[in-house]
Amino acid sequence: MDTENKNQIKSYLTFKLGNEEFAAHVSKVLNILEMTPITKVPKAPDYLKGVINLRGAVLPVIDTRIKFGMPETEYTNNTCIIVLDIDVDGESVHVGAIVDSVQAVLEIDNSQIMPLPTLGSRYKSEFIIGMAKVEERFIIILNMDAIFSVDEITSIVDSNQSVAEGTDAQQ
Amino acid sequence: MDSFRKKFIEEAAELIDKLEVSLLELEKSPNDEALIQQVFRVMHTLKGNSAMFGFDLIDSFTHNLETIYDMIRNGQLEVSKDILNITFSSVDHLKAMLDEQNYEDPDFKTVHNGLMGKINRIINPSNAETEAESAKSSNEKSESLSTYYILFEPNENIFKNGTNPLYLLDELCSLGEHKVFAHFNRLPGIKEITPNLCYTYWEVLLTTDQDVNAIHDVFIFVESDSKLEIQKLAEENLLADKLFVEEVSQLAEVQKDVGLVTIQRLATKAAARINKEKAKQFTKERIATKDKTAASIRVSSDKLDHLMNLVSELVTTQARLSLFAEQTNVPGLAPIVENVHKLTRQLRDIAFSIVLIPIENLFGRFQRLVRDLSAELHKEVDFIVEGADTELDKTIIENLSDPLMHIIRNSMDHGIEDARVRIANGKPAKGKIHLKAFYSGASVIIQVSDDGAGIDPEIIHAKAISKGLVPSDKKMSKKEILDLIFLPGFSTAKKVTDVSGRGVGMDVVKKKISDIRGEVEVESEVGKGTTITIKLPLTLSIIDGLLVSIDSSPFVIPLSSIDKIYAVDKESIYSSFNNLVTLDGTQIPFFSLRKEFNLQPSNEELEQVVVVNFEDNRVGLVVDYVIGEYQAVLKPLGKHYKSHDIFSGATILGDGTVALVMDTNKIIKMFATSK
Repeated sequence: MDTENKNQIKSYLTFKLGNEEFAAHVSKVLNILEMTPITKVPKAPDYLKGVINLRGAVLPVIDTRIKFGMPETEYTNNTCIIVLDIDVDGESVHVGAIVDSVQAVLEIDNSQIMPLPTLGSRYKSEFIIGMAKVEERFIIILNMDAIFSVDEITSIVDSNQSVAEGTDAQQ
Repeated sequence: MDSFRKKFIEEAAELIDKLEVSLLELEKSPNDEALIQQVFRVMHTLKGNSAMFGFDLIDSFTHNLETIYDMIRNGQLEVSKDILNITFSSVDHLKAMLDEQNYEDPDFKTVHNGLMGKINRIINPSNAETEAESAKSSNEKSESLSTYYILFEPNENIFKNGTNPLYLLDELCSLGEHKVFAHFNRLPGIKEITPNLCYTYWEVLLTTDQDVNAIHDVFIFVESDSKLEIQKLAEENLLADKLFVEEVSQLAEVQKDVGLVTIQRLATKAAARINKEKAKQFTKERIATKDKTAASIRVSSDKLDHLMNLVSELVTTQARLSLFAEQTNVPGLAPIVENVHKLTRQLRDIAFSIVLIPIENLFGRFQRLVRDLSAELHKEVDFIVEGADTELDKTIIENLSDPLMHIIRNSMDHGIEDARVRIANGKPAKGKIHLKAFYSGASVIIQVSDDGAGIDPEIIHAKAISKGLVPSDKKMSKKEILDLIFLPGFSTAKKVTDVSGRGVGMDVVKKKISDIRGEVEVESEVGKGTTITIKLPLTLSIIDGLLVSIDSSPFVIPLSSIDKIYAVDKESIYSSFNNLVTLDGTQIPFFSLRKEFNLQPSNEELEQVVVVNFEDNRVGLVVDYVIGEYQAVLKPLGKHYKSHDIFSGATILGDGTVALVMDTNKIIKMFATSK
């Protein structure tokens, strides 16, 4: 798929981490897997959960919660691994991202995407493409390339602010 | 565009390698026309490619170089040592041009201009004799060649003007390829002859790229009172047509003169023949290139990796299918599954063979090295290569280049003696280095042997003692002593030479080879020579490993690094203070992988200690269970684990789970430094 086509597609996959709803452009998503046993890699950073067998290839899996600086939770039936195709310095890299639950594929028009409010925003702007309001909910559209290509653990939360944690209320 | 440039550079590098190989062969048999053609063709391709991708400097450089070989091809130049030397330097220069983007560098410019000058001097030598030759050659080469018929009947009194008609003919002939027929039929009998009159006249066939005026210019002073006929016969080199030349010569002998009309008739026939020949050659060339493109195709290594992944996935799935068929016992299923099994196995074998490439390219490089070194060290050496078609994984071949180069340098520098010494020792003056590659089971053996001085174990032993590498009272076998040369800080060169004493010793060779999971051995006989044997795995992507489990997760330890496995009771591991365990009477340092991987201690009474070799020491790694030997298809862990190199990869087990493959050297290093 070339870039032009990618831009024309307005579909986004939405997923939840706690009470927060996020979205990733579908062109970045290769696959959605049920949670499977993960082979741990000893001595690796926390957010690198390990590797799984994705149809004969070895796929590194990242816990998105840890990567986003949120507390870890138990995996549930809803926990999924989203297989992403990330662009790292022009090279395509596959990585799995563990999320609390996958919601839906939504059509979001470019005109619906609003820039983040500069003041009082909890998130660092380089990781966020924008925000969209769909059926009275706010969805944060993420820049997956930027988030998953960075080696160190990156909190996408601005250090001055903190994420309101509503996970327990949900369960 | 950038990707095209990259592709060009890749391809050009390959072409240059090819060129080098052909040149080396050409040096051995300078008259082999096929080789000259090959050299020319490679240069030509390189020129064309570089022009297409805007590498103008390479384009113009190769153009000149190509001209030399075109001249050789057409027989106007002979392959000489001088030309070959310049070509070799040019090949080096071309390599530099590909690497270096900074063409403004003054050093680069000097080299470039120097070489250009030398090349031009070969193409246009300044002395007159060869100039005529090259003029002649340029005629042949140029497309606008024409053949002329010239009839020159000088005035009888031409000598009286002080003109020698032979000089005129010489000048005429310098214009190009020629055939001169002198006619003496007007010569009177000896009694009537007047010595100062000219009775002879000439017919000349001339092929030249000059126009008719140039021919007229030759006769400018005699034209007025001589009979001169100049006629263009054809726009072809008719003299290249043997039949035509023969016919004309025959006529010239029997007749008093051939005459323009007859010649013209023959010329038309000859021209037709030449054109036909040309057309044939053209199609031949086209067919040849067509054949070549069909023989091999270029595939990106990404696609190959992908293919390999799919194949291993298929193998895993097929294993499950076989198991399922056995359990369910559906009639008719078994033969189908068996067929799938057979096909999968064939597919796997072919897929693995695709990623293997012949070692030929690498060996070609060494031909060059030996050639340069033998000039530098003034040692004549026969370099014999055997088994260049042995295939190895591409990554292994790349990593093999430096160690092998070092070994060959050593053989040239220290192994092969000076010619005088050799003769005194009753050996042929010319040394011999033998580079051999061959299969042995699932590995490839590469051997470098020379018939030089050999390694004296006593000198090695004494030296190792003086360097404090071994205790002086220790008794050692010959093999043990020879193995000392692989120790760090051991160098036997009497003086530091340009060739081998660069601070890089055999220890680095050993390390590099063990990095690609190979082994090195040395054998030597004083006065007879040295043989160094390298044993390599066929491919990096399949390894023989030991499957172990730690906290119910599977891990693979490469079999090549394992020395021995012991079962030890738990107490002696957990009560040890200094991490030493006594096995077979020796104390061995150990690491408990459970502890190091931050896992809970196990409940088992017995622990397994896998003793691995680590830099000449033995180190124990404590695991829960040893499951057994396992042939693992190694897969990369991906970019996210790039900095995490204690695991060299992962492999997928039969049941689909992922097992990590340990790099024991790095694991031990990490644990040792974290203490």
